[in-house]
Amino acid sequence: MKRSYLGEMELMVLLVVQRLGVKAYGVPISKELLLLAEREVSLGSIYAALERLEIKGFVSSSLGDPTPERGGRAKRYFRVTSNGVRALEMTRAALTRLWNDVPLLQ
Amino acid sequence: MTNKRSNPPSLALWLLRHASTGARNEALTGDLIERFREGQSRRWFWGQVLFASALGALEAIRRGWYFFAYAIAGTVAQYLLYSNDLARGLVLPGWSSLPWPLSQFGLELGIPIIATSMSLLMLSVGLLIERSFRWWYLLRTFIFSLVLITAGQYSIEFSPWLLRPVQGDQYHKALIALLALLASAYLVAAWLGCAPTKHSHNRERRTTVPQ
Repeated sequence: MKRSYLGEMELMVLLVVQRLGVKAYGVPISKELLLLAEREVSLGSIYAALERLEIKGFVSSSLGDPTPERGGRAKRYFRVTSNGVRALEMTRAALTRLWNDVPLLQ
Repeated sequence: MTNKRSNPPSLALWLLRHASTGARNEALTGDLIERFREGQSRRWFWGQVLFASALGALEAIRRGWYFFAYAIAGTVAQYLLYSNDLARGLVLPGWSSLPWPLSQFGLELGIPIIATSMSLLMLSVGLLIERSFRWWYLLRTFIFSLVLITAGQYSIEFSPWLLRPVQGDQYHKALIALLALLASAYLVAAWLGCAPTKHSHNRERRTTVPQ
């Protein structure tokens, strides 16, 4: 099976979704990215990354109920799949190996 | 309570609804409205919508690459058949010896029919690669292509002022207009012809914002 890799944005979004657990949808994901990664990312980019992750099978999504404060629109909740967790672990292991080989930063 | 501050710009919502994909649309729109009502400015809202729309447009182009391939193939085939006697002789043998109005019919409808049929092969390959091949997509695209090409040709013939904005001499004006018209006609025909018949995102087509 062809292995899928994580881009930088995908990695950050996947980590945030995992951190947020059952509360992971667009708004808290963007706030967490601003707070933790100090990056103001547009919601459009977040959804683009989430859709790529969903195609790769790293996240799954489900629609919540429409709410008045959102103009009657439903929230789309995301959660990390077991493949997503495996991808995170593999990326972390690869990055750790790479960091260990950088002499100035040890 | 309803006030202007709690309602995001309706034009921006309209743009978002038409520019982003169905699956993403509802959640993204809801998130933007939620952030707007938390205190984000109208400028912020517009910025987010324009960025999301640009992403949606790029994605639509990437997803619909075979529409563009079909449009290019159709335009080139039709241009060659119009301009090249040899090519025309190969696909329409004996056309010039036909009596009028059959010869006129051969030129005005026969060439689009042949060019469209040839370029439908390109569209079929694209649809097969994208695993969305349907016979009725091809049939609808064929019909839409002929209707749009014929309508476009006659609109230029009966409304020569349409060529006015195009620079250059009369021959170049007509050529540029013809190529632009053919490419647009093929593109729109493929887009209309290959559109799914059941719109699952009808529910998302809400324009009002409940308070």
